[in-house]
Amino acid sequence: MELRGLQKSYATRTGHVHALSAVDLSIRQGEFVAVVGPSGCGKTTMLKILAGLEEPTGGSASLGGHPVRTGSGDVGMVFQKATLLPWKDILANVLLPLSLRRRPTSADRTKAMDLLAMAGLAEFARKRPGELSGGMQQRAAICRALVHDPSLLLMDEPFGALDAMTRDTLNVEVNRIWRETGTTAVLITHSISEAVFLAERVIVMSPRPGRIVEEIIVPFDRERSLDLLGEPEFAALTSRIRSHFEVSHA
Amino acid sequence: MSTTTVSPPRRPSGRGVQITGGIALLVVLLLAWQFLPGLLNTPRYVIPPLTEVLAALVDPAALPRYLQNAAATMTEVGLGLLIGVALGLGLAVTLAQMPRVYGIVFPYIVAIESIPKVAVAPLFVIWFGFGLPSKVVVVVLLAFFPVLVNTIHGLRSVDRDQIDLFRVNGASPMQLRTRLLIPAALPQIFSGLELAVANAMIGAIVAEFVGAQHGLGVLILQAQGRMETPAVFALLIILSALGILLNLAVRLARRWVITWEPR
Ligand SMILES: Nc1ncnc2c1ncn2[C@@H]1O[C@H](COP(=O)(O)OP(=O)(O)OP(=O)(O)O)[C@@H](O)[C@H]1O
Ligand SMILES: [Mg+2]
Repeated sequence: MELRGLQKSYATRTGHVHALSAVDLSIRQGEFVAVVGPSGCGKTTMLKILAGLEEPTGGSASLGGHPVRTGSGDVGMVFQKATLLPWKDILANVLLPLSLRRRPTSADRTKAMDLLAMAGLAEFARKRPGELSGGMQQRAAICRALVHDPSLLLMDEPFGALDAMTRDTLNVEVNRIWRETGTTAVLITHSISEAVFLAERVIVMSPRPGRIVEEIIVPFDRERSLDLLGEPEFAALTSRIRSHFEVSHA
Repeated sequence: MSTTTVSPPRRPSGRGVQITGGIALLVVLLLAWQFLPGLLNTPRYVIPPLTEVLAALVDPAALPRYLQNAAATMTEVGLGLLIGVALGLGLAVTLAQMPRVYGIVFPYIVAIESIPKVAVAPLFVIWFGFGLPSKVVVVVLLAFFPVLVNTIHGLRSVDRDQIDLFRVNGASPMQLRTRLLIPAALPQIFSGLELAVANAMIGAIVAEFVGAQHGLGVLILQAQGRMETPAVFALLIILSALGILLNLAVRLARRWVITWEPR
């Protein structure tokens, strides 16, 4: 996955909004990249370009040498909001990526139920999204992004609405799923420690128009456990990123 | 030794109060209708007392006439609604997926919408005659626009992220339409239907006023011609009842279809 000199500006009623300027980034297959940056710096925009949902206004985004297009690859996407369909029950929502491709099989349903159980939502499979809390809906949305074993997993602040404990549990799950499936993962987050905990590489972006100001390699093993959060090395990395943040804010 | 039983204070529940209040108000209004005209010396041909209206309403001699003409009016309403709603939905779904065309025709929709469409009814009598077709066309015109406008609005205000979710998963235009856009627009579609149903009754009656052989509108004109005010009121009651029934049907259908909407 390659982003070369990526630019994006939006035409709005009040003129152009320059969201991204000259982003260069290459992501290896199977890599886990986290992106942190101040609000409005173009993180969601970058993710949408990676998914082929937005066209860059300059530069290029390519996947294996071909320009990115929607529906061209197996992309699992977690949006900033849960974005569930209110007229379908949770199980049907989780199965949606599959049911748009083919008729779901009983194996698919088992897979979806396993994911829901992993997210602590097994008893809610037959409920409508309106009957779930915001955090529960977001967890269901994560299950939906994983149900079709995507080769690229794009997550836009997936855990923003969750409490710290649920967040830790799900982070461990995401780490496990990433290791077991070998999917490429891009995670946008406001939490620096979450970024360091999950990613092999953390991208720090500047305020709008977003540029990459630093890339930090996270040297831990692929398998991460919550003990990591107490390690001095972990603290050193997070504070290094945080200092960057403060500088870029000043 | 004495035992005292403490019964909870009897206070009518909120809903109970509403129902009792509603019935009380109805009784007061009906009594006022019955006796106020007499007390105020209002002539009977202006406002007949309630009992005379009820007598006209249940008059066995008039009943077959009421039924036949109500059937005629409801045929116009039913056919017109069927065609108008189908056209409105179809055009809305087509236009919502063609933003350019929508941009071109939108000003025309607004322009036609702002014509008081019942005023066109005389023209339709010239074009389509005094029979059923001219009435149906007026009803179609009146039912069509609220469905069109509300449906387009509903289809166009579907959440962007939901659309992106479908695109990321390679949904076809057909899948996008039937599995996202239309279900998401159902609340607005039903709002359009409610308006269409109310409009359809207006359209049918006005079209009958303009020129017709059958229908409740014709009966109202005939009763007016003979100065039979109780009959006019009786016909108005029949019309209101039919209108309420239609509205109720739409609202029940809405509840039945949109089960995810909070009540
Ligand atoms: N569809 C759009 N039309 C116009 N402007 C947009 C659009 N989407 C985003 N923008 C603008 O582009 C900039 C970047 O938006 P983006 O959503 O990518 O930020 P973000 O980094 O995800 O912010 P946050 O952390 O708050 O989610 C913002 O200034 C926003 O106003
Ligand atoms: Mg964002």
